[in-house]
Amino acid sequence: MDGKMSVMIVDDEAIVRESLFHWFKKYGHFVETAASGFEALEKLGKYPFQLLFVDIKMPGMDGIELLEKVKTDYPDTLVIIITAYGSIESSVKAMRIGATDYLLKPFKPDQLSLVMERISVQKRLVSQYNYLKGHLEKITRFDNIIGQSSEMEKVFSLIPEVAQSDASILLVGETGTGKELVAKAIHAESRRSHLPFIAINCGAMPESLLESELFGHQKGVFTGATRARKGFLEVVSGGTLFLDEIGEISPKMQINLLRVLEEKKITSIGSREPVNVDFRLISATRRDLKKEVAEGTFREDFFYRINVIMIEIPPLRKRKEDIPLLVEHFLKKYCQETTKYVDHVTRDTMELLIHYDWPGNVRELENAIERAVVLSKSRTLNVEDLSFIRPAGKPISKTLSLREMEKEYIQQVLEGNNWNVTQSAKILGINRVTLHKMMKRYRLERPEG
Amino acid sequence: MIPVGDVPESTLQIIADNITGRFKLTTQILPPLEQPEYAFDERRLQYNAGIIIEAMEAMQFGNHDKVIGVLNNDLFIPIFTHVFGEARQGGKCGLVSLFRLMKNSDGSTPPKSLVLERVAKVALHELGHLLDLLHCEHKKCLMHFSGGVDEVDNMSLELCEYCTIYLQDKLG
Repeated sequence: MDGKMSVMIVDDEAIVRESLFHWFKKYGHFVETAASGFEALEKLGKYPFQLLFVDIKMPGMDGIELLEKVKTDYPDTLVIIITAYGSIESSVKAMRIGATDYLLKPFKPDQLSLVMERISVQKRLVSQYNYLKGHLEKITRFDNIIGQSSEMEKVFSLIPEVAQSDASILLVGETGTGKELVAKAIHAESRRSHLPFIAINCGAMPESLLESELFGHQKGVFTGATRARKGFLEVVSGGTLFLDEIGEISPKMQINLLRVLEEKKITSIGSREPVNVDFRLISATRRDLKKEVAEGTFREDFFYRINVIMIEIPPLRKRKEDIPLLVEHFLKKYCQETTKYVDHVTRDTMELLIHYDWPGNVRELENAIERAVVLSKSRTLNVEDLSFIRPAGKPISKTLSLREMEKEYIQQVLEGNNWNVTQSAKILGINRVTLHKMMKRYRLERPEG
Repeated sequence: MIPVGDVPESTLQIIADNITGRFKLTTQILPPLEQPEYAFDERRLQYNAGIIIEAMEAMQFGNHDKVIGVLNNDLFIPIFTHVFGEARQGGKCGLVSLFRLMKNSDGSTPPKSLVLERVAKVALHELGHLLDLLHCEHKKCLMHFSGGVDEVDNMSLELCEYCTIYLQDKLG
């Protein structure tokens, strides 16, 4: 039997508990005992036992009832039923509910050994399956966008439809709503899926750098250009280019890109030779570009060029029914990444998560779950683990100026992310340098101690 | 070593020699204990190994660190149909029963030399547990779990290289 397991023996007879306890100890397993179903559930709530040996006949809560509860609340925990009565009926019932195996007391020592061998094989297969599934989830995409709400259903139905054409797509949604995930999903569904997907955050770099990144440059055209470099518009060659925060680009860059989209040709900085390019453009913004066009701050011709198809990604507060699903998804994700085992959320905690407004949307929720998993001391997330979340409905303050409001909101996000500037900047949709400047301006400092 | 009830001295001597030879420990054969009738289970017609061990743990055995009891009776622990021997991880006292080792799995009688080899294996295995060795995955290792006499015959009288290191570590 390879690998040590955490095992709990649940039996009202002390002598049985003791016998099995010592037997499992001889294999080096972590063993606990419980004299009743209630005690077993209490211990399961505190520690993620992998395997339970449960006597079918116990006063209070019998083995079948305990099995049902375990399979509902902790489906990954394996249960072996022990019965002294040899009742086929109860054993069949146990197997139907989800028991992994059953043993008739007293059993030959090698029967128990065989059961443990089988469990060991099953455990290895499950772990391989989870690894491969996780791996697959990273390279496929639809699974990564979580949601059952009608708003998300609309998005899901649009993805395969728009993926078939080459028309430019504009994804509109608040920061953290998953615009890049949708862009990746469209790419993966398209005929270009085997070609590169390149994502560039236009808001994160100054214009000159963005130009060089997109168009490339020749050797020696500016200080630091020690060699020629191809731009992403050329590197993407046949794939999908995702320009996030397109609303942040300068009018000059809008003209340059407009030309590329019309002519399908680029000229790198310092060159006179145009190069043919082929890519599908997906842009994203959290701003109201239509309004900016009307106000004359964004080019109309460029707007219509990038906005052949518009997909609106709803903010999390408008699809709260998706929160439990997302929480479950992120719990699994961070349990795998952190090797901690947190698979439960109390009702109060879920209420808190549902009622919170999530200004940073899914990204903020993901960060909150990641942080709570890391900090959690049991397998159940409770309200205390999420104490950094400010409940919804709580007004930021009474009458505030716009600047005061901005200061208070930045402070709130920083506090919510344990003063991690990178995380907070992501949620606020600004870069780290800007956030540092704002923190300095508003004299926001991490409290000592 | 301590006989529990009537056990041939030659059997005890062979176990003692194996312990001395293989584990490099000093052994002594103590005066016998009485038949453990207090541990007899009338329903199962077997002797409860746990109860005998508990009784032995309560006795004084001078300055002996570990005590292995050898008896002729059929042993069980409550969840199992039978055991060849019993010892608790890191405990002081263990037990070995000759009862089921004197028959082959097909019911035939094995030669006496094979029975003695089996007894020595089970005694060393239980002593291994008393010295905190765990069950080993290596099928030939003395610390591999054996559910039947065929498995006892299949394992060797030696520890695998990992268990050897572990034992050396335990014995300092």
